Amino acid sequence: MAFRFSQAPIDPASLRATLGDPACGGYAAFEGWVRNHNEGRRVTRLEYEAFEPLAIKEGERIIAEAVARFGVEHAACVHRLGSLAIGDLAVWVGVSARHRHEAFLACRYIIDEVKHRVPIWKKEYYENGDSGWVNCERCATAPRHSEDAAGEHDHGHEHAHAHVHLVPDYSRQMALREVGPTGQARLRASRVLVVGCGGLGVPVMSYLAGAGVGRLGLIDADRLEPSNLHRQTIYALSDAGKPKAELAAARMRALNPDVDVRPYVLRLNADNVAGLIEQYDLVVDCTDNFSTKFLLNDACVRLRKPLVIASVYQYEGQLQVVRPDRDGPCLRCIWPEATRDGLVGNCSEAGVLGPVPGLFGSLQALEALKILLDLPGQLGETLLVLDLMTLSLTRVRVRRASNCPDHASARPLAADVPAQALEIEFDTLDEAAEAGFEIIDIREPREVEESPTPGGRTRHVPMAQLLHGSPAFAPSGRCLLLCASGRRSLAAAQELRARGFENVYSLRGGLAALTRRSLS
Amino acid sequence: MSAPGPEARQARRHVKVQYYALLREQAGRSEEALVTSARTPRELYEELKGRYPFSLAPEMLRVAVNAEFGDWSQPLADGDTVVFIPPVAGG
Repeated sequence: MAFRFSQAPIDPASLRATLGDPACGGYAAFEGWVRNHNEGRRVTRLEYEAFEPLAIKEGERIIAEAVARFGVEHAACVHRLGSLAIGDLAVWVGVSARHRHEAFLACRYIIDEVKHRVPIWKKEYYENGDSGWVNCERCATAPRHSEDAAGEHDHGHEHAHAHVHLVPDYSRQMALREVGPTGQARLRASRVLVVGCGGLGVPVMSYLAGAGVGRLGLIDADRLEPSNLHRQTIYALSDAGKPKAELAAARMRALNPDVDVRPYVLRLNADNVAGLIEQYDLVVDCTDNFSTKFLLNDACVRLRKPLVIASVYQYEGQLQVVRPDRDGPCLRCIWPEATRDGLVGNCSEAGVLGPVPGLFGSLQALEALKILLDLPGQLGETLLVLDLMTLSLTRVRVRRASNCPDHASARPLAADVPAQALEIEFDTLDEAAEAGFEIIDIREPREVEESPTPGGRTRHVPMAQLLHGSPAFAPSGRCLLLCASGRRSLAAAQELRARGFENVYSLRGGLAALTRRSLS
Repeated sequence: MSAPGPEARQARRHVKVQYYALLREQAGRSEEALVTSARTPRELYEELKGRYPFSLAPEMLRVAVNAEFGDWSQPLADGDTVVFIPPVAGG
């Protein structure tokens, strides 16, 4: 039997001999010993008990898994039962394999899984004459704490630590005079919505979950990509391709099972934004685009919910806290209508160093906690601009703009014209011209020089000039904007639509897609 | 405030200018001290556009003068700190 219990002392030498095989070039073994202390108490001896039929079945399953998983030749595990003294051998694992690498891995796997899954009870006898049972059953259903299995414990109390019912401990923050039990209760009663599970969202959610907020909503429509990981460090490379909101929710639940974590794998739009925000007390904007930022801002202003906004760019970023509940200024009090994605870089276009969103996300979490706990020193009506390359910090006072559209009257939400309604595909620009479109290439002169527009009947008006130049934009009929990738032209089309030009469209995918389609 | 008179046109002002994000990249620096005859942030920005390949129109930026968001046409004074802040959206 590959897994068995023993009432008698374990003899590693004879067990090792059972794994010998001329095909094997490596043997790895692990011995767990009885230690003289556990969780601060002096231990004098131990007793192990197991429900053997069940425990052996589970043990056998673990050995079979290790053999299949790591391709080792032989594996075995023996666990002691009965009374053991300090220094006695409590558990032995041995693996032989063709190469050492698999032997080490399988050995580690077996001891970790046995500790977590095999139902074994342990009675500890303490120096003061007390004793206590440590129940190891139900291990398989408890959340896995892989760090418990790591080698920093010296082994003997094989079953002590992972299975005590652990509860979140907020003592380190409750020790702060400004927090205390009252503050902790406030956090427990609060509900926070984190929009975006990326570079900003990861530190925000981690600190809020750690702090013990009652409900944590996590919105992200994207799936994990390997390029995310340098700044989104809660994820694993092996999870690439999975929805980030769900991965993040699992991680936050492991961090703090007290928190009601609600993942939303969706993109915010004008139809769903209000319904989501209504379920929360505070919103943290960790998105990477202006259309969502404006959408969130507008909804928060309408519903009078505090909103903590951050944006980063390469080595710097900006932080703003919007307090509609206190009639404070909003995002639109700073940035004009014309602010569109495509004009400003995001992380994928401009690049970013991982700790930059890490720091700004941490600042967002801090401001969110200050608001929830009603702490002094809140950012208030200030835009914080921080350049982490030079470590220079600028604070600019934000005033409520008298002409801010959000405060003036009800206005349509920014994303009312969906991108799909604005984007059109063509195989060639001639086709577009034949369909009656006036074609405007909005790229910069330098770009046009390097890569001329493929088609004669095209006007060239750089974006800034189109939106803000003179003479004012006044198309006679339907008008198709194009740029290199379709991103800027979409932004410009959205802006012009918002100004009331109904016949403006964007070439989907830009010139890059045109080239691809004409080649295929 | 009244519009600056003709005598102000000739006046040379010492200003400190800070650039952020795209502007920092295009200017190739975070800040600099300048002597300028520009009377307003708009004139200053136009002057700088002659020196750096700024691609953003003033309408897409915010300007702050001495830690307050300012108006593009407000008068500049000697010793002002002028900060050009583009919107950023990365996350």
